[in-house]
Amino acid sequence: MAVYKRSYKAYHGPLTPRRSRFLVLTRYAAGDLFQSRFFVALLFFCMLPVLLGAGFIYIANSETAQAILKLGKQSFLLVDARFFCNLLIAQAWLALLLTSWVGPVLVAGDLADGALPLFLSRPFSRTEYVLGKIAVLGALLSAVTWVPLLLLFVLQAGLAKGSWLWPNLWMAGAILLTSWMWIAVLSAVALALSAWVKWRIVATGVTYALFFVPAGFGEAFNAVMRTNWGRLLNLPYLFRVVTYDRFHLPLDFFQSFSNRAIPAAAAWLTLLLVCVLALAILNRRLRAREVVRG
Amino acid sequence: MSMRATIELEGLQVQLGGRTILDRLTGALPGRSIGLLGPNGSGKSTLINTLLGFYAPVSGTARVLGLDICTGAAELRSLVGYMPENDAFIASMTGVHFVRYMAEISGLPPEEAMERAHEAFFYVGLGEARYRKLGTYSLGMKQLTKLAQAIAHGPRLLVLDEPTNGMDPPARKRMIELIREIRDAGEICLLLSSHLLRDVEETCDEVLILRNGRIAALCNLEEERRADRKFLEMETVGADGDFTSALEKLGCECAAYGSGRVKLVMPESVEIRELYRVAAEQGVQIRRMNHRRDSLEDIFLNAMEQTGAVNGRI
Repeated sequence: MAVYKRSYKAYHGPLTPRRSRFLVLTRYAAGDLFQSRFFVALLFFCMLPVLLGAGFIYIANSETAQAILKLGKQSFLLVDARFFCNLLIAQAWLALLLTSWVGPVLVAGDLADGALPLFLSRPFSRTEYVLGKIAVLGALLSAVTWVPLLLLFVLQAGLAKGSWLWPNLWMAGAILLTSWMWIAVLSAVALALSAWVKWRIVATGVTYALFFVPAGFGEAFNAVMRTNWGRLLNLPYLFRVVTYDRFHLPLDFFQSFSNRAIPAAAAWLTLLLVCVLALAILNRRLRAREVVRG
Repeated sequence: MSMRATIELEGLQVQLGGRTILDRLTGALPGRSIGLLGPNGSGKSTLINTLLGFYAPVSGTARVLGLDICTGAAELRSLVGYMPENDAFIASMTGVHFVRYMAEISGLPPEEAMERAHEAFFYVGLGEARYRKLGTYSLGMKQLTKLAQAIAHGPRLLVLDEPTNGMDPPARKRMIELIREIRDAGEICLLLSSHLLRDVEETCDEVLILRNGRIAALCNLEEERRADRKFLEMETVGADGDFTSALEKLGCECAAYGSGRVKLVMPESVEIRELYRVAAEQGVQIRRMNHRRDSLEDIFLNAMEQTGAVNGRI
């Protein structure tokens, strides 16, 4: 169908493989995101702790740098499980910030103007649609969580003298596991809210509200009922619990304002439940046509 | 060699929100351009949505281009271009970017998708506006964009749900011309749903009329046009069953309506003066008599008056 001919002609050319077609959504969504200068600045901001971490690792392993900075043999210059755990938690907060900006536009834009039937009338399932959209968040959140942390881990392994790598290799697994769990929670919740609330600003607000308002209710519940199970409503807290657990660190931080922390298994289960609930909402909202009952 | 019907319905029943919307539809539509007619709420859009796999039938099934809508849905969707009734676009995208996006999702490689998107935009007459954001388009332009995204990937079946909705007369004319052009290219089948009889009459060769979720009529317009059946429409005073029986004895096909209106098809051997003679014998006054052809409007109105499936002929 050449432009100058202006007549309809069928297409008989090659087609892309069906399995990888969901990546079209990912590519277009990422392309739209990177057109925003604010987003690029935000992404750079999310990398700052990692850059500082890299500097810290270099100084901790370089006697020359320590001498120049006149630090001597300081006990705080230690790259251990606590260092990676704290850095991961910092990156997790930044991941939440990034999600609140990226998440709301992913699905809401398609739903607001009724584009979803166009996607689903093609050889393209709802699962592929969700996969395509969630892959954007997955890639971005990976870029600010486990990927830079593993790079720092490799940097530390390279700079450390002796056999630092093998006794600490388990930390790489902890970084991967906890990062992916947080990525799954953030992605599922962000997509569900984006599908539920079609306005960007409101969806961003609701994303933050979901992470902080129930935590307040939980603390009120704890105070009234003299328990600590209300913290199950506090998603950032649950992430801390599972992260400290995976990094084999004592939960002393939590002991300071609570008698005892909730079990790590309960935290894992709750986070898993949040993912399932979010996917259930997505399943309900992402339909080509809504059925009005009654 | 027997030709496979474009759409085959086999007891297709769809329920939504506890209500039966499509009630055991059965029929074969062999035409290359099929019109779906019916009043609002008759089930036209539900039928389209079911054929596209958006709704699952509670019983029965349907085949489109020989593919079962339940078991071959994915393959079927790769052959379909769909223009929905309501707004369907991404406001923040430019027109050509949007159509390219949709073509890529249909499986076209990026370069091909880009080329086809530009061509489709020129084809529907929006070439100059293709770099504008869709949110700034007028209603008519949005309709044409929906058509562009439906044809960009070169489907074998084009499903158009109320394609002229909200368009002014020149834009409607342009849309109908485009649809006819696509139909006449011969590479694509059409399924067009509308409540506007003229749209269907101008673009389709076969019509399925729905009423309350049931098939009210199934009519081959092409055959009707070829048969060129003329009939007489009479307005009378005093016409009753005896009068129509007397006309039938002459060999006429007769149908009486309220208010003394009678429609009849006369054999060539019968002359008009014989009608006057019968009327005089029966004491019936003939006030007006017109030669007419069956129009889609007649077929539609007849289908709306009757219950159950008929062949669509008056």
